[in-house]
Amino acid sequence: MEQLINELKVRMVDILDLAGASPTTMDVDGPLVGGTLGLDSIDVLEMVIMIEKDYGVRIDNRELGERVFASLTTLAAYIYENSPRLKK
Amino acid sequence: MTRERVFIAGMGVVSPLGSGVAETRSALAGGLSGIRPLSLFQTPGNIPHPVGQVRCQLGGHSIPRTHQLARIAADQAMANCREAPDVVVVGTTTGGMHTTESLLKDKNDDPGAYRWHSAGSVTEDIAGRFGCKGAVLTVSTACSSGAVAIKIALEMLRTGKARRALAGGADSLCRLTYYGFNTLQLIDPEGARPLDKDRRGLSVAEGAGMLLLVAGDPSNAVAELLGAGLSCDAFHPAAPQPEGQGAYRAMRSALEDAGLAVSDIDYINLHGTGTPDNDLAEARAVNRMFMDFQPLVSSVKGAIGHPLAAAGAIEVVIAAICIAGQLVPANTGASFPDPALKLSPVMSPRHTRVRTVLSNSFGFGGNNASVVIGAPADRATPASAVIGPMRVVAGACFTGAGNTARTLAHLSAGASCKGVLSVDEISSDLSARLVRRLKYLPRLAMALADEAHRRSGAKEPPSSIFLGTGWGALSETHEFLSSLFETSEKFSSPTNFIGSVHNAPAGHVAIMFGATGANVTTTGGDYSFEQALMTAYHLGRGEGKTALVIGADEYHEKLSGLFDPSVQPDDIPSAGGGALILASDSTPAGVTVFPGFSAMAENHSDVVAALVQSLGGSDRIKACFGVLLAGIPGAHRSAGAAQLEAFLASSGFKQPVIEYRKLVGEFASASAVAAFMAVNFTQAGTIPGPLCNGRAVQLSGKGCLVLGLGKFVTAMEVVLR
Repeated sequence: MEQLINELKVRMVDILDLAGASPTTMDVDGPLVGGTLGLDSIDVLEMVIMIEKDYGVRIDNRELGERVFASLTTLAAYIYENSPRLKK
Repeated sequence: MTRERVFIAGMGVVSPLGSGVAETRSALAGGLSGIRPLSLFQTPGNIPHPVGQVRCQLGGHSIPRTHQLARIAADQAMANCREAPDVVVVGTTTGGMHTTESLLKDKNDDPGAYRWHSAGSVTEDIAGRFGCKGAVLTVSTACSSGAVAIKIALEMLRTGKARRALAGGADSLCRLTYYGFNTLQLIDPEGARPLDKDRRGLSVAEGAGMLLLVAGDPSNAVAELLGAGLSCDAFHPAAPQPEGQGAYRAMRSALEDAGLAVSDIDYINLHGTGTPDNDLAEARAVNRMFMDFQPLVSSVKGAIGHPLAAAGAIEVVIAAICIAGQLVPANTGASFPDPALKLSPVMSPRHTRVRTVLSNSFGFGGNNASVVIGAPADRATPASAVIGPMRVVAGACFTGAGNTARTLAHLSAGASCKGVLSVDEISSDLSARLVRRLKYLPRLAMALADEAHRRSGAKEPPSSIFLGTGWGALSETHEFLSSLFETSEKFSSPTNFIGSVHNAPAGHVAIMFGATGANVTTTGGDYSFEQALMTAYHLGRGEGKTALVIGADEYHEKLSGLFDPSVQPDDIPSAGGGALILASDSTPAGVTVFPGFSAMAENHSDVVAALVQSLGGSDRIKACFGVLLAGIPGAHRSAGAAQLEAFLASSGFKQPVIEYRKLVGEFASASAVAAFMAVNFTQAGTIPGPLCNGRAVQLSGKGCLVLGLGKFVTAMEVVLR
């Protein structure tokens, strides 16, 4: 799980162009949207695409999205649970 | 002097409900829906979603689908008119994209194959078809484009710029919009259910709506165009302001423009796309504005889908059908209205008295437009505002040489400003957080806006934004389509889709400034800035307020060479733009700018004679202007040179001529840099020697004439007041 969280942090900084944000200082339990990173709904959708592409996990409706993207921890947990590509 | 009243004298419509007013009326009266699974193109690996696809036979395949749809609606609108429209204003976002994306997918590298790509070519095709001798404007404000086009035409008719205008909107289905809305998770897999408690999104659609608008003459009028209002959310590139503040301001402004009270409106044709956020924000705005007077409301987007740039125009045609047929269309698609919206949509077609209709259209970039039409009747008309040239408060420009100061230094030395600044150089003064996720064009527009505002020294930034771009956000468009095709049409970036619309950069400028006034993006190849200036001249006025007019274009390694025939002959790629902040106040002193003349050359037997005449003839030209800045785009060098020669012969103008594209390079909005140069020269009263064969020229109170030549002939008059 920890490895997955770290992987997600690095990808987020890269695809969301989070200049100045360091993966090491990111709060894994803080809110992703509207939190200190300044993410919005478009960032979430950008992550949705990456997660489907790289982990084979679809998050295709708003209700599910709101639950899954509550924090980095909830996101990693959902991917871990549902990805056919991760060894458990 | 009273303002001219404006009437709808002809209408054309093609949508998933059919072609022509009669078919549309009968489909609406029958409560039919035109939404079916997509069949226009394949969707590999995915079941096609329901869309609003036009099923009737189109004209042919020599021109792209948007152009064909536009022709159908325009031919209907003009069927009983033997005279040419004085102006043509069309809203479109996709232009030739349906054809272009197939060409790109096939890796077709022949620039000739892309000659119908531009959004502007849709309007030019219509203008050529009817021999329009006046201004030809293309509006690209995403889903409000058609309604914004109608507003611009309305103002041109009111001010006497035109007596007859053909205005509307057109967009065809294409992969960019189909997959784009899909990446935003804004597609309802069941088909759009506007205002329904279970609504999940829209159905992307296509179509065209066109109106023949005439000033003053109510005979044979279908309806009267009473007013229209524009606003910008200045909130988010794609999501509406949750309380519907922008929607409220657009509706309020439309009613004020029409001189009506809320109780005068019988029916609101809602934007009502069926997305959870739009419908809620719009409902909040309607409830706030109409309170106890709530008129009948419905959205037709469950029947026709969302035809994007065509929506506003198609829905004004539908509004006129409502008035003529005393019919309120059903809120098709919805089964259980969402109680949270506090609206009572009309659930089945209803025959009732309809005298006045308000029609809403909102788009990406927070670009909102509301239009009011009514049955022709005796009405008092408000006094007409006297409008003249606008005063230049400040300006800025970027070229390959750098920002404003560097570009001016280069130009004064007669040195070339060709080249392309890096994206980091352009946005070095903008906060990293502000430009996160943004590519070249929005950064360029924001940098120009920011620098112009700083140079003005004003506390308040401009409240309305007008942007002309020849080719729009090429980087975002290219990346979106490339990723899509690389992943067998499975994945692409929502950020790139939102960024791909022509009006995204102006939306970002509005967010940066909190500019909630009109926000209009125009596009028309090498003459896009002139279109933005003309639009600002008609819509950007207001006591104590300023309007920002920007022209900006990027250079894209792959797409610029394919799309833009003007960059092809130049070995050095160039990019850049200019910006002017304009005030409509009556401050006596200062440099003013006036968009004097604009016409498609091919529609005139002698366009140069018309230009000279519009400038007041040879004597006025010689008396007013001390230098001519001539813009001859690369694609039209021989035609442009011949026009210049004819102009000099006909006007007897003997002062220096500066062919500015030789200095600033070939990019569509190079004329924005020229306009800024002209303002600087006029202010300084002198033209630097290196630009005039080594000897500085004193203007002695005269100004600069900036001409655009080639496919269009345009004039911007820059003089001291």
